[in-house]
Amino acid sequence: MSKAKQLLIIDDDVDYVDGIKAILTRAGYEVAAAYNPKSGMELLKSKPWDLFLLDVMMGRGAEGIMMARQIGKDPKLRETPLLIITGIREQIAFLFPGEPVHPHFVANDELMEKPVDPKLLLERVAALLKASEAKKAKAK
Amino acid sequence: MGNERYKILLIDDEEVVLDSCARMLRGGNHEVVSIMDGAQGVELAHQFHPDLVIVDLKMPGISGLEVLERIHAFDPTIVSIMLTGFATVGSAVDAMKRGACDFLPKPIAPDEFRMVVSRALERRRLILETQALRREKEMLREQFAAIVSHELKSPLGAIQQNLFVLAEELSDKLDESQRQRLERMKVRVTDLMKMIQTWLRLISADIGKIRDNFHPVAIKEVIAKAIESVQNEATRKNIEVLAEGADTPRRVNGDEGTLVQALVNLLNNAIKYSRSASEIQVRVTEDGDKVALAVADSGVGIAADELPHVFEDFYRAPSSAKGEQGAGLGLPLSRRIVEAHDGTISVSSEPGKGSTFTIRLPALKTS
Ligand SMILES: Nc1ncnc2c1ncn2[C@@H]1O[C@H](COP(=O)(O)OP(=O)(O)O)[C@@H](O)[C@H]1O
Repeated sequence: MSKAKQLLIIDDDVDYVDGIKAILTRAGYEVAAAYNPKSGMELLKSKPWDLFLLDVMMGRGAEGIMMARQIGKDPKLRETPLLIITGIREQIAFLFPGEPVHPHFVANDELMEKPVDPKLLLERVAALLKASEAKKAKAK
Repeated sequence: MGNERYKILLIDDEEVVLDSCARMLRGGNHEVVSIMDGAQGVELAHQFHPDLVIVDLKMPGISGLEVLERIHAFDPTIVSIMLTGFATVGSAVDAMKRGACDFLPKPIAPDEFRMVVSRALERRRLILETQALRREKEMLREQFAAIVSHELKSPLGAIQQNLFVLAEELSDKLDESQRQRLERMKVRVTDLMKMIQTWLRLISADIGKIRDNFHPVAIKEVIAKAIESVQNEATRKNIEVLAEGADTPRRVNGDEGTLVQALVNLLNNAIKYSRSASEIQVRVTEDGDKVALAVADSGVGIAADELPHVFEDFYRAPSSAKGEQGAGLGLPLSRRIVEAHDGTISVSSEPGKGSTFTIRLPALKTS
C-alpha cells in the first residue's frame, strides 16, 4: 500500500474545513488546512501535495480567486490538481464581468458548489488524483 | 448661507455687466469665472463644473436659453439665473420652464442680485445635500450586502456542510425518526441559504435578474405558502390570519419565491405591529387585468407624516417601530420585488386603528 495522499484545503471557515476534513480523513487521505490565503500560499509551496481544495470566495474580497490565479500561473504548482469549492457559482461571473462563468485557473481544475455532497466529493477527489497520476506516469 | 465656497459662471456678451456682477459677488468667497460667448460658456461649464450659472438671455451666437439647455443636458443639478432686458420679461417665463431657477431684469440692482444669488446657492446646497444623502444610503446598502454576504453566509455554510457530513457519517446509526429530522434540518438550512442569496441579489444590485426566470405563478399558491410560513409566529401571538378570495384561479407572470417573500414581509409586519389575540385579513380582489392582495391588520397603525417613507431603505416609523426588532428593510424589499413584477405596493393606515398594505400585480389572462 502506498503512502496516504496528501491533500491541502484552504478555506477561511474553520468549521467548514472540519466538515470536509472529516470526510476525507475517513476515506484515508491525509489532510492539512490553511485558513487564509497567506498561510495557504506558504503551505502550498512548503512541500509537494497531491491535491489542493480551495474556496475561491474566501474573505470579503474573494481573495481565493486571486490565489487560484496565482496557482494557475506557477508552472510547478499548476501540476497539482485543484478542486475549487465555491459558495455561489454566479459570483465568479460577478467578479470578472465578461469572463466565462468558470475561468480555468489551472489546466484541469474542477469546480464544486457548497455544500458538497460527501459521496460526490470523494468521487471527484479520487478521479482527480487518478488523472494526475496517469499524467505523471506518462511523463516519465 | 454660511461660508461655503461655490463656483459661479457668468456668461454675458456685455463686459460692463460681467464686471458689475463680478464686483457684486466679491467678498462672498466664491470662485467666479466670466466669459463673453455662449458657446464658449457651455464649453467652460464642462471643465469648470460650476454650482451656479448666471447667463444673459440675449446674446449674439447661441441664446441664453440654449446655453442653459446644453448645460443642464450634461448636469441638471447646476442651478441657474437668467438675466433679461425689460422688454423680454415674457421669455423669462420660458427660461424658468427650461430649468432656470430665477431671473433678474436689467439693469441689475445690487440688493436684488445678491438676494437672488443667495437663493439660488441655497437651492444648490440642498440639491448637493440630497445627493450626498442618497449616495450614503446607496453605500450603506452595498456595505450591508457585503456584511450579509460574509457574516451570515459563511457560518450558515459551515452549519450546512456539517449537516451533510453528519448525515452521511451517521447514516447507519440513526433510527428512522432521527434520520428524518436530520433531513428536515438539511432542507431548512438550504432554504435559508437560498433566501439569503435571494436577498443579496435583491439588495445588492440586480433585482431585474429574477425576471429571467419568470413563469406563470398561481396567486393561490403564493398566498398559501406565505400564510404557512408565518403561521407559527401568528399562533404564538394568538393572532388569526384569515384569507378571503384566496382560492382565486388567477395567475401572474413572475417568480414564486420572491412573491411569497414580498407577502411574507407584509404578514410579518402585520403580526409584529398588532396586539395579541387580534385578526389579520388577507383579501384578494380582482380589478380588471389586475389582481390585488391586501393585508389588513388592526394594529398600532402609522402616523400620516411617516406613511410616505415606510418603503424607503432602513426607514422605521417612530410611531410604530419602537420596542420592536427590525432593520427597516422588509417593506423596501417587498417594494422592489413587486416593482420587478411591474406591480405596485401601497399603504393606508390610521394610528390606533390599523394598517392595510396592498400589492397590485398585472394578472395573466384567464384561459
Ligand atoms: N403593519 C404595520 N403596522 C404598523 N407599522 C408598520 C406596519 N408595517 C410596517 N410598519 C412600519 O414601517 C416600518 C418599516 O417596515 P419594514 O421595512 O418592514 O421594517 P421593520 O424591520 O422595521 O419592520 C416599520 O419599522 C414600522 O414602523
